[in-house]
Amino acid sequence: MMSKATATTVSGRTSDIVEQVPPPRAPAARKHMRNQFFTFRGNLSKHAQILTSVCASLIVIATWEISTRLGWINSLFLPPPSVTIETLWTMITQKHLLLNAGISTLRVWVAFAISVVMAVPIGIAMSSFRGVGAALEPIVDFIRYLPVPALVPLSIIWFGVGETTKIFLLWLGTFFQLVLLVADDMRRVPQEYVEIAYTVGARPRQMLTDVAFRAMLPSLFDNLRITLGWCWTYLIIAEIVAADNGLGFVIWAARRYMNTSEVMAGVVTIGLIGLLTDQILRLVHKRLFRYL
Amino acid sequence: MAPAPYLVFDGVAKYFGDLEVVAPTFDLAIKRNEFVVFLGPSGSGKTTLMRMVGGLETPTAGEIRLDGQPIDGPDRDRGMVFQSYSSFPWLTVAQNVAYGMKYRLDMTPERKQRRLAHYLELVGLADFADAYPNKVSGGMRQRIAIARTLAAGSDVLLMDEPFGALDAQRREDLQLELRRIQRQDAKTVIFVTHDVDEAVFLADRIIIFSKRPARMLEEIDIAATLGPDRTLELRDSERFFKLRTEILKFVRIAAGHEN
Repeated sequence: MMSKATATTVSGRTSDIVEQVPPPRAPAARKHMRNQFFTFRGNLSKHAQILTSVCASLIVIATWEISTRLGWINSLFLPPPSVTIETLWTMITQKHLLLNAGISTLRVWVAFAISVVMAVPIGIAMSSFRGVGAALEPIVDFIRYLPVPALVPLSIIWFGVGETTKIFLLWLGTFFQLVLLVADDMRRVPQEYVEIAYTVGARPRQMLTDVAFRAMLPSLFDNLRITLGWCWTYLIIAEIVAADNGLGFVIWAARRYMNTSEVMAGVVTIGLIGLLTDQILRLVHKRLFRYL
Repeated sequence: MAPAPYLVFDGVAKYFGDLEVVAPTFDLAIKRNEFVVFLGPSGSGKTTLMRMVGGLETPTAGEIRLDGQPIDGPDRDRGMVFQSYSSFPWLTVAQNVAYGMKYRLDMTPERKQRRLAHYLELVGLADFADAYPNKVSGGMRQRIAIARTLAAGSDVLLMDEPFGALDAQRREDLQLELRRIQRQDAKTVIFVTHDVDEAVFLADRIIIFSKRPARMLEEIDIAATLGPDRTLELRDSERFFKLRTEILKFVRIAAGHEN
């Protein structure tokens, strides 16, 4: 805008007329979009949002690449993205990276499934029946605050270094968090819904399955999605401590030889799995809860 | 001989902790097929009295009997229209209305289908049958609740300001229709409102309440003056206006405006 104004004064009278012409639509639309960017809960088109996501990611990757290329950062400690991707490819083709990723994913899902199957009914019971809540809440709260790594030695003593230990640690890290989240989801179901069910003749069990559970589903789904992410944190801890396969093992083994690019490749793999899973689950959420 | 009372409040009082909501002791006998309107200031405990009939609250003292049986928890013989969260967001409009009949094993699917169509039409939601509640207005959501409760076919209807969110025309239609259904299907109705016009038009009997704690201030037999049949012409009649003015006076006293 500034340069345009200066140009007008320089070129004299004639351009005053040009200034009267209303600005073309495109810049106006662009200005509108720029405003929406920083408007609280503003409107941004789907395309603009995707474009922003891609640009932001590219900027981070480019900064990373440039700072290692220019030697600002020692690439021995932080290999550039190009090298990481190259290593990723060699690891896929020569070092069974995908197999290890598959093993890790399987561990996460098995442990997660066990947690969910236990946490959903117990969580619902905790918030539905005062007695169950009173009995379990202190125990759950106590265990919830124990850091999972602190329990690694115990679980190795109990279960050895096999699969059981890994599943146990993952379960430990997620079940006790999830059970409270589920209880909260149920607690937030409006009392009015429950009363509607009862006044049209639902029995308590019918009220629970037809109304209360149905009402809590969207927030339950969100909490499951978030908890699944935590699983990966505990998985890496479990695989670092006691495993001879899986992504945690791959990362930890590479560390021993100062092979930072393999460490990075392992980390990036986890990130990509996370990104993919989350996108899929978001899509499922959209499909399942069209009415929201 | 007068018919035996159907719904009886016997020495009822209600406290929430130290808060006195219904003053001891509340006594009222409602006949079968009677349309009773609870009229009074907001937050005066009328809703609590109605919720106790619904079995959603328990009296602190006394008891409420329906047909001689003490009320012990909610059931479908007493249908309720709620003011908020009145429909399930995960069901379509039609599914929400049909939910009222979900546990009626005594109705055939064909009969349920017919009733569904009838009540959707009645409340003017037939065109929105397949929409989800978040796509319709607040007034329409309220009509979903009314249709669901009517479809459920309860003998006693408990309605807490059910027409509050509706526009004047729809409100008038539904008032007429509710009164017609009440007469035709022999329903016993407790209707809470603070709209005097609505109260006079609908009621066989109006109970005027004080501010909290709820106490019965006045009892007015509307049926004695207006008779059982209510038409739109009645609304413009001399009798109607006289009653309305008289009741407004009581309501002002109840609200403490006339000293």
